[in-house]
Amino acid sequence: MKLDICYRTIFRFDSPVRESQNEMRACPVTNQRQQLLSYRISLEPSARTLSFTDYWGTRVDQFGVTDSHQSLQVTAEASVETQDPIPLTANPPLEALLEPQFRDSHEEYLHPTPHTNYDSALAQEAQTLASDAKDVRSTVEAVWEFAGSRLSYQPNSTKIGDCITEIAAKKAGVCQDFAHLGVALCRSLGIPARYVSGYLFSSNDRTGSVSGDFVRVQTHAWFEAAIPGAGWLPLDPTNQLTVGHQHVKIGHGRDYDDVPPLRGVYSGPATPEVEASVEIRRMDPAKFPTTALQPSLLREVMKPRNRHNHTQSHNQQQQQQQQQ
Amino acid sequence: MFYDEHIDAQGCIRSHYQPVQEWFDRLTPAHLSALEQQRNESFRRQGITFTVYGNSEGTERTWPMDLYPQIIDATEWATIERGLCQRVTALNHFLDDIYSGTQAIIADGIIPQRLITSCTGFEREAMNVSVPLGARCVVAGIDLVRGADGGYQVLEDNLRNPSGISYVIENRAAMTKLMPAAFANLAVRSVNHYGRSLLRALRSIAPPACGDDPTIVVLTPGVFNSAYFEHAFLARSMGVELVEGRDLVVDNHVVAMRTTRGLERVDVIYRRIDDAFLDPVVFNPHSTLGVPGLMAAARAGTVTLANSVGNGVGDDKAVYAYVPNMIRYYLNEQPIIPNATTYLLWEHDQRTEVLNRLDELVIKPVAESGGYGIVIGPKASDAELHTARQNILKDPRNWIAQEVVNLSRLPAWDGDEFAPRHIDLRPFVLCGEQTEVIPGGLTRVAMRPGSLIVNSSQGGGSKDTWVLGTNQPNQPATAPEASPATTPAASPATAPEASPATPANSPSGPANRLS
Repeated sequence: MKLDICYRTIFRFDSPVRESQNEMRACPVTNQRQQLLSYRISLEPSARTLSFTDYWGTRVDQFGVTDSHQSLQVTAEASVETQDPIPLTANPPLEALLEPQFRDSHEEYLHPTPHTNYDSALAQEAQTLASDAKDVRSTVEAVWEFAGSRLSYQPNSTKIGDCITEIAAKKAGVCQDFAHLGVALCRSLGIPARYVSGYLFSSNDRTGSVSGDFVRVQTHAWFEAAIPGAGWLPLDPTNQLTVGHQHVKIGHGRDYDDVPPLRGVYSGPATPEVEASVEIRRMDPAKFPTTALQPSLLREVMKPRNRHNHTQSHNQQQQQQQQQ
Repeated sequence: MFYDEHIDAQGCIRSHYQPVQEWFDRLTPAHLSALEQQRNESFRRQGITFTVYGNSEGTERTWPMDLYPQIIDATEWATIERGLCQRVTALNHFLDDIYSGTQAIIADGIIPQRLITSCTGFEREAMNVSVPLGARCVVAGIDLVRGADGGYQVLEDNLRNPSGISYVIENRAAMTKLMPAAFANLAVRSVNHYGRSLLRALRSIAPPACGDDPTIVVLTPGVFNSAYFEHAFLARSMGVELVEGRDLVVDNHVVAMRTTRGLERVDVIYRRIDDAFLDPVVFNPHSTLGVPGLMAAARAGTVTLANSVGNGVGDDKAVYAYVPNMIRYYLNEQPIIPNATTYLLWEHDQRTEVLNRLDELVIKPVAESGGYGIVIGPKASDAELHTARQNILKDPRNWIAQEVVNLSRLPAWDGDEFAPRHIDLRPFVLCGEQTEVIPGGLTRVAMRPGSLIVNSSQGGGSKDTWVLGTNQPNQPATAPEASPATTPAASPATAPEASPATPANSPSGPANRLS
């Protein structure tokens, strides 16, 4: 499927701010399943960008606006060609997870992180749901189904930074939460898993359904689990879809914090109003059938932080950092 | 069993201590307490203090320096110097391989990948940020101890923000003022050139595009930091600005300093702010100490940060266990100074052995420094050992165990008499275009009888460290006695350097290019 994606975020401040510094991770990655055809960033006010590939393989565009400004508009336009993934054929037994070389190379995807910090109750739930699974694939698939049914999909029900046990207790969340839950459950069972940030060509994240050739949505998230001897298996728990040509991957990491679409700070007393949107247009409509259109609304992107609302004592504590 | 630094097996004063011992032998207790008083007043007047966090009695304390110096003879020092240059050179190769290279040491199976990915000091945000000359560790502090057999061992590496050099220099200044005559007939090598050497190292890693006269600054967290005195001291001795995060701004991936004349471009930052606080865009978002956009500027290559971000991956105590292998791998040499015997607790067999011998070993957290979190098995209570055991079982990667090193002993004045106390030594190594070891270093001393804890944060003291020149002057003419003894206000520190036999201000030791 050939898709044109336009990701736009507008920050409006109620008074002028300056010295804003930001990082954007919005560029589709090129991998076996998808190919980036073009990518362009425009900024208003204009600024020079520094582009690089980070540790996780994600393209980062870094930019700063030093002079006083009252709004900042960031637009990323990508054109990408996607395919359904080649199905993984290997189906290793659970013991394969313990193979030393596999564990050595996947170590960083095995531990809890701030967004996937599961407790013993959640680990127990994972144990129960995986008790029938005899191999790695069926365990991961059980997690995928469970993560999808454990939460109900409720826009604005959670904030970025809520911990996974709170979200599990609330039993509601958005795509990031479904993805973090899938990652946490996999890790609690000793299966390396990673969080994926991306776009979904769908008018409804919850169902994955799409109608027409144009959708206006938000960024999406899913997860990937490592299958020994086979590679990473991507699964979308929010809508129970296997990841296919509707999914456009930006990048992955241990959790959201490794691949936030936008993060940054600015100076000034203002608070921002943020408007973020993703528009995706299918450029080869004849090839794919459509399903029913449904409205959708997702969580807005993370607001940039004002770095001047901290107390002096906070500053003193920070100065007393460890010395060697 | 301990190695005694100043008395040999036959009970005789070792020859390199004899002149100083004779000098001290002539002093009465009254002389000594007068000297101590002079020392305290001088340190207090100059504001030479250090900070103990979490102490209700007030955090600022006068710097504790014992009057009896540690003395290292020229031959022994030559070995230490070569060993330290070798070690820090290998560590710089390692850091550059991990962050800017191909991670060949992992691919070649010398160290496991998970050792790096599980390391809290491994900073993924520093990936592919290159550093001129590969000098990621410009200032290293390597902690050395002498075991019962008299051989030096490396106890730990400090590659992030090692502090203490200002005290080395202030200790020397105080000693030359208090007891100039004790330096008589000894060509004690100078430490006063540290500022010039650091400046030279920092200049050598400036971005190539910035020309011949790079602007260098020292970046401090601020006056509440325990090492603020040192930050100010270093800026002054290099003749560069001391700045805080709010004094710097990044514009178009270039760092500039706010001055009364407007913005001035900055090329090299000797930063004494921890990684986590350095740039709120990529690290701790709540940091008010850092400079937003600093990492992007470093990545763009318009500014060099020293030490580099992410050096914690090199001084993690589990990684430390692999340093001898790094030396063999990168330099194809045998390590000159060995490690202390160390057990990695995530290795099943080693962990089992350690848990059986917990009361005989020292247990350390891998990423801490300053002596925090250490459990000394033979001195620990049952409850402390139980906690240590639980901690190890809960997170074995976070702990190492070492055989107890019975630190060597040297006399220290306890108010009534000179009594033996345990010491260690932190020499400082500078890496830029050349690798240079400052003669001596910070000798730390446990002030309580029998104690092995030398950290000043835990009640330890310090000593001046004298490295003797290769050619000891035997002509009385070179002795500094005449002038300093009569005019103590002069600067006798330079007097021993009058001897042409001790080229104190030229870099000594092997000069190793880093890349």
